[in-house]
Amino acid sequence: MPLVAAAALPHTPQLLVRPPTEDRGLVLRVHAALGEVKRRLGAARPDAIVLIGGDHIEGFFLNAVPALAVYVGARAAGEFGRYRYAFDVHEPLARAVIEQGIEAGFDLTYSQDVALDYAFYVPLHFAMPEPAVPIVPLYVNVYLPPQPTPARCHAWGRALRAIVDRRSERVALVASGGLSHFPGTDRYGSPDFDFDRALLAALAEGRGAETARLTGDELDKAGNVELRTWITLLGALGDARAEVLAYEPSWHHGNAVVTWPV
Amino acid sequence: MSEAHYFFPPASAYALNRFLFALKSDATARARYAEDAEATMREGGLDEVTRAALSTFDRDRLVGLGAHPYLVFMAQVRLAMDGKPETFEYF
Repeated sequence: MPLVAAAALPHTPQLLVRPPTEDRGLVLRVHAALGEVKRRLGAARPDAIVLIGGDHIEGFFLNAVPALAVYVGARAAGEFGRYRYAFDVHEPLARAVIEQGIEAGFDLTYSQDVALDYAFYVPLHFAMPEPAVPIVPLYVNVYLPPQPTPARCHAWGRALRAIVDRRSERVALVASGGLSHFPGTDRYGSPDFDFDRALLAALAEGRGAETARLTGDELDKAGNVELRTWITLLGALGDARAEVLAYEPSWHHGNAVVTWPV
Repeated sequence: MSEAHYFFPPASAYALNRFLFALKSDATARARYAEDAEATMREGGLDEVTRAALSTFDRDRLVGLGAHPYLVFMAQVRLAMDGKPETFEYF
């Protein structure tokens, strides 16, 4: 069995900790959309969720900055305030991804010892089916330049799909990130929602491959450095048409919840 | 071309970024910083100019010194979460 579900989800920690800076109705609408993804993931009965996320300088610091990495530990754990998470890792699938990814020409890093970043556990907090299934965390460097190019991310996604298609497990492929936001910069209060809307319109028409032609500079300008995780997913999905379950632009963040038929 | 929002972290800012990383990701480091910021910054090898910028969390100055903007942002968020947990989870 190859791919059984695909989605791209936001992970902004305000969805989790709900500070008074946030619009309650908006946050609850995003929660509802994530709940729908949870329902669909459960219905797809995956054996594992392969989650493509961008590390927020949490698992990897400047001692080593992998462009693309696979976590192959037994468990993946992280914390944010009082929220603590630990997920089983699907080791056979994770090993297949690192081994066959290397064979396919992608010089991937792997780790058995990094703290799980909120890019991974915030989406899983809301969308992990019950009972929980094991995960495979895949890392794309988004915040520490020079990051991998969109073209490279897209190519990695294509290779990843080929690996998944050869497996016997039922696999859900989920990207975590975006859309437009500029944490820590003077653009924090003015994301590029026009970029987001044009992107979502293109994805709904099955034109995801166009994202491979974006440049790193364009992503940085649009507050979409994290789109690299989506672009990786899009490489795996070809010309499938996206279903946008929610697009909720807040004062600092374009929250998008998207699924694809597979 | 203007500088990217997220730029290559200069080696000269390594001690500062390492310090911000600890504040962001290590509750023990945050507790020590809350207890004695000056001593913690000195132990972290931060020079006087950097210590002054960090003592007020002056983002523009810190970023000007080479701090990663995201590290400045989330270190400050995590310190606030420790100091005022009641301001979170309000609905």
